[in-house]
Amino acid sequence: MKKLIRFVLKNRLLMLALGLLIVAGGYYSYNNLPIDAFPDVSPSLVQVFTVTQGLAPEEIEKYVTFPVEVAMNGLPNLEHIRSVSNFGLSVVNVYFKDGTDIYFSRQLVNERLQEAREQIPEGFGDPEMGPISTGMGLILFYYLEDTSGKYSLTELRTIQDWLIKYQLQTVPGVTEVLGIGGWEKQYHVELDPNSLLRYDISVNEIIEKIRANNLNVGAQFIEKNSEEFIVRSVGLAGNIEDLQNIVLSSEDGIPIYLRQVADIQIGGAIRRGVQTRNGIKEVVSGQVVKLYGTNSSTVIRRVEKKLKEINKILPQGIRIVPYYEQKTLVEAAVKTVTNALLIGVILVALILILFMGSLRPSIVVALAIPFSILFSFIGMRFFNISINLMSFGGLAIAIGMMVDGTIVLVENIDRMLRKSPEEESKFHVIARAFGEVSRPIFFAITIIIVVFLPLFTLQGVEGKTFRPLAYTVALAMLGSLLFAMLLASVLASMFMRKPGTGKKGQEIKENFLLRNLVKIYKPVVSYFVKKRFLAVFLAVGLLIVGVVIFPQLGSEFAPKVQEGTIVLRLTMAPSISLNKSIRTTQVVERRVLKVPEVTEVITRIGRGEVGAHTDPINSAEMYILLKDKSEWRTAGTQAELEDVIREEIGNIPGVLANFTQPIQMTVDELLEGVRAELAIKLYGEDLNTLKEKADEIASVIRRVPGAADVQPDQVSGTPQLVIKIDRHAIARYGINVEDVQQVVHAAVGGETAGQIFEGVRRFDILVRFHSDFRGTPEAIGQILVEAPKGIHVPLSQLATIEEIVGPRQITRENSQRFITIQCNVVGLDIGTFVENGQKAIEQNVKLPPGYLVTWGGQFRLQQEANKRLIVVVPITLLVIFLLLFSSFKFLKNTLLILLNIPLALVGGVVALWITGENLSVPASVGFIALFGIALENGMVLVTYLNQLIRDGVPLDDASVKGAILRLRPVLMTAMTTALGLIPLLLATGVGSEVQRPLATVVIGGLFTSTLLTLLVVPAIYKWFATDMKNEIQTN
Amino acid sequence: MRMNKKGITWLLSLVFILVISTVFVKCGGENKKDSHQTEKADSSRESGHEEEIVRITVEELEEFGIEIAIAGAGKLDRHVDLTGEIVIDPDRLAHIVPRFPGVVKEVRKKIGSPVKKGEVLAIIESNESLASYEVKSLIDGKVIDMHLTIGEVIADAGHSIVIADLSRVWVNLNVYQKDLPYIKTGLQTIISTGYDSKEKSGKISYISPVVDEKTRTATARVVLANPDGTWKPGLFVNAKVITGNDNVPIIVPKTALETFENRTVVFVKQGDGFTPQPVTIGRSNSTVVEIVAGLKSGQKYVSKGGFTLKAELQKEAFGEGHEH
Repeated sequence: MKKLIRFVLKNRLLMLALGLLIVAGGYYSYNNLPIDAFPDVSPSLVQVFTVTQGLAPEEIEKYVTFPVEVAMNGLPNLEHIRSVSNFGLSVVNVYFKDGTDIYFSRQLVNERLQEAREQIPEGFGDPEMGPISTGMGLILFYYLEDTSGKYSLTELRTIQDWLIKYQLQTVPGVTEVLGIGGWEKQYHVELDPNSLLRYDISVNEIIEKIRANNLNVGAQFIEKNSEEFIVRSVGLAGNIEDLQNIVLSSEDGIPIYLRQVADIQIGGAIRRGVQTRNGIKEVVSGQVVKLYGTNSSTVIRRVEKKLKEINKILPQGIRIVPYYEQKTLVEAAVKTVTNALLIGVILVALILILFMGSLRPSIVVALAIPFSILFSFIGMRFFNISINLMSFGGLAIAIGMMVDGTIVLVENIDRMLRKSPEEESKFHVIARAFGEVSRPIFFAITIIIVVFLPLFTLQGVEGKTFRPLAYTVALAMLGSLLFAMLLASVLASMFMRKPGTGKKGQEIKENFLLRNLVKIYKPVVSYFVKKRFLAVFLAVGLLIVGVVIFPQLGSEFAPKVQEGTIVLRLTMAPSISLNKSIRTTQVVERRVLKVPEVTEVITRIGRGEVGAHTDPINSAEMYILLKDKSEWRTAGTQAELEDVIREEIGNIPGVLANFTQPIQMTVDELLEGVRAELAIKLYGEDLNTLKEKADEIASVIRRVPGAADVQPDQVSGTPQLVIKIDRHAIARYGINVEDVQQVVHAAVGGETAGQIFEGVRRFDILVRFHSDFRGTPEAIGQILVEAPKGIHVPLSQLATIEEIVGPRQITRENSQRFITIQCNVVGLDIGTFVENGQKAIEQNVKLPPGYLVTWGGQFRLQQEANKRLIVVVPITLLVIFLLLFSSFKFLKNTLLILLNIPLALVGGVVALWITGENLSVPASVGFIALFGIALENGMVLVTYLNQLIRDGVPLDDASVKGAILRLRPVLMTAMTTALGLIPLLLATGVGSEVQRPLATVVIGGLFTSTLLTLLVVPAIYKWFATDMKNEIQTN
Repeated sequence: MRMNKKGITWLLSLVFILVISTVFVKCGGENKKDSHQTEKADSSRESGHEEEIVRITVEELEEFGIEIAIAGAGKLDRHVDLTGEIVIDPDRLAHIVPRFPGVVKEVRKKIGSPVKKGEVLAIIESNESLASYEVKSLIDGKVIDMHLTIGEVIADAGHSIVIADLSRVWVNLNVYQKDLPYIKTGLQTIISTGYDSKEKSGKISYISPVVDEKTRTATARVVLANPDGTWKPGLFVNAKVITGNDNVPIIVPKTALETFENRTVVFVKQGDGFTPQPVTIGRSNSTVVEIVAGLKSGQKYVSKGGFTLKAELQKEAFGEGHEH
């Protein structure tokens, strides 16, 4: 340490250059750091989507999901595979271990997709990977406003899909633009089955004819008068008329045209999603998805600029109106923490000036803040941490602590400069002062960094949320350590003067505050030193208060971050039709609009183009746009407004409504987590058996003491019309199963027969029966199937048509179907409950072979987290203990300092209790920070007391004297830390909910811990010092 | 004294380790307390009702398109849809073949000309006797086919003159096997061409005793009067055979039926709410259905939009299970 001090003071210029280099590097890093709202908690995940028109969940699972799943098995770093087979859509989520490179995993998945494609039958869809994005990727939603009223929803959708989409996709950082709402334009050829019979033409023949009469070819070139003429044969159908005039057959020179057997018109593709607005109409809308790893704020800015350009080229009367922008959130979140940071800096600077009494040392100390922050930016860039609520929050927390080391140093230099003999050189004094406190500074800061280690072991969502904070705190502290060790003394030597050369009068005046504080403090501390047991009582009393209050605290995992956008999620019956879904949603929209604060309501029902959402049509997400907060009348906060809206909409028949937020919603969807504490998963083959056994398990579990809200998944609920082909019947006519299937597919579902090109825009030609001939089960039964020899047989003669209730979706995990039974536990330890439950299931439920029960849910994650913490926390404590021990070399000193911790915790607990906050992860992060700060205070004081004892001052006097002398640094470090956090405590902006419990805990804890350090430690120092004195003497 | 101090030291350190560990265990263990309490409150609200009853305001009835009707008697007409074609009544068709081979000397009628019984159609000079003879119509009707040109030598029956009386035509309907049990002679049948609203009603007068071996369809016949000739033979027609038109004591539209908990129910007004009433259904057509049991005459029931009520009853279940 001595060597270091000498080196630093000798090479002042080198140190300064080093400092400047770090500052420059920090500034450069800052400009290149991505800015997000929150840390991205999305898992490492590649989604594989397969759209298959018209297939039921069972078929999707069999033909599409399973082959994809099987292909994905055995990939490196694979964690698990989960899939959902919905009507018409298969989603396979391939989860990789956290931290796996997204491009690497996509490449792996893509390779395997080739195999999967071969296994999927022709015409059953092509599996594709989702956009290269995460749960935070949905940065901007917009809708198209048509003030002219001239454009149909189909035309608007065409503008969205063929103009806006491609324009926006050219913006760097935008990976996908997904359209929803309106109708995708199609050419519908609606067949009249009676006409087919009349002219004896089959559906397949018509499809072939359309295909055969719609193409262009190239025929090289011919040479003519030394010029080359390219030969084109143009035969593409360009409009409805071209289609109408396709000749199907010709009898005696009389052609039969397509128009004779079919109505041809422009229609909309089958849709599984709709966008509605203000309860009156449908709109067309788009969602802009950001590329993974790009800077949200930059991309959003570029998109906005592009939108302005596009608005100019759109047809008269059409305008793009953004209705959700993540920018607002990013800006608000960054503003919240930046404000806290700035105010913190100012408050800290004020404290410095107040206590130091002069500007010069304050400048040296204050410089620690920008240096540490800039240093953290370098680190953030290195560790790929974006600027967000949590990482900046970490800096805000650390503000007060960054200056602590330098405060101790500069304060000591300041004090010694004043007392030093006239002839001693400034450098010498500084070196001496530095030497005195260098060890405790080094150890104190190191301990704070070590204290944050447990946070690095957090996993999953909590880990991803709080690790950036742990990183920035640790980085900032490391920066402050570097500053204190390498730069502070150099700067002190440049800025600070010996008092002899300065003006003495001024200095005395400025120390006024401190003198008065000492005046009050001295008698109190003397009293406590005399009446030691009183101090012990005080400490024990506080501790008891803490122990009593602690169990009364509520608890939650992490407070919900208010994103500032209210989304009302509606869940309707799984069997609902899209039209009914729209109607119901619009009823709710109208009700919400009655709230005076609401300006606009835009709802997405189901899903649009795949990539972002996979919701079925019974699920709607309503974005509620609000007036500016200053115009609110019925409510003051978002939570209150949610209550008002809840009140206004009341109970909507057949609809479950709950509030959520855009990012929260998307992330939840990706995590696919079970929200209950406990999830019993039953794996097995047969859907009916699964359902039956799940119900059995649920009823068994309900009887286990402590069970609450036991609820098996509702897996069924979608009605199906099943056409079961009678093999004997088709055998009599010599018809193949395929012949029947083809007719059903084409007649009812529709078959694409090529495309119509309008420039480069292409629109499908869909051939199917006119709705009169396929709209009811009876009509489907009448569909004629052509048998060999040209005879026609109605479908109902070849197959039975039944209405049944089928699965609404099939969920699979690791290639097995499963069903979840959710459950909460009340008034009992979960571990015991699980044990009892397992026994109960074993005794009462007989599972067929191949069926398996596992227990999971939030509790499992928490158990794992607790298990890790039970290992990590003692290790951290041990490391702290060793650090302290190596610093003080005495067990008793070390214990005395550790005594600070429980009393600091008491303050935190009481503060939480008073403010009504819950015990949560951020609160425990606060407790962790408290550890470090409390230890630091104790160290500063105990070091000096030891020094005095070594100098031979009697114990009681030393206790009082030491305490008085160290009043300034102890108070200063405590107050800077506390004041640095005050802005976070008082902040009301976006994201303040997460930081508030943390600030509450630290400020409360600092209060009690400072009290202890100043009053109790000097008092009981005697008990912890006697041995040391003996040891010194024997040494 | 010293032991004492040591004791305090250890005690305090023990306390503090305890405190720390509880902080973590506690904040990890009970995170979901808040959320599940609210859930519980919700479910207790719903499960409080012994009977399944949905209460709904008058405005909501309107908003969600729920219509209420009073159960009562009604007519249940049932029909079978068939296709077929117009053919000439064979009793009113004459194939007139010139008796002796010869040369056509004169043609008096054209295709489409109306003719009377006994009217001369053509004059032919016999090859054998070189005498001219008249070819006369055997019935009243119209010439619908004729292959005679002046000077042409006629040697065989291929040169017949077809005369048909189209004031009455047959409609031959193809009856698929599945429909055979319902088709009986005397049933009212509505014939249409499918393109316009032109419809004509007739009765089934004949059903073929055998089913065609090739097409596996039987033929049912309706005789149609065709005074103005609109029903041209060869026209492809659709037929709706009315197979029943019964008076039924309780009849409801099909939109009133809902499937609830694997049973067919009708939502019935009870007190200030609606309750799902399991019903047994009888005969039905494409729009209405007969209720055999479960619904009494005069009861108010939901004739349309019962889905909303069903969804309201199932709400708890589909909410919990919704998982992404």
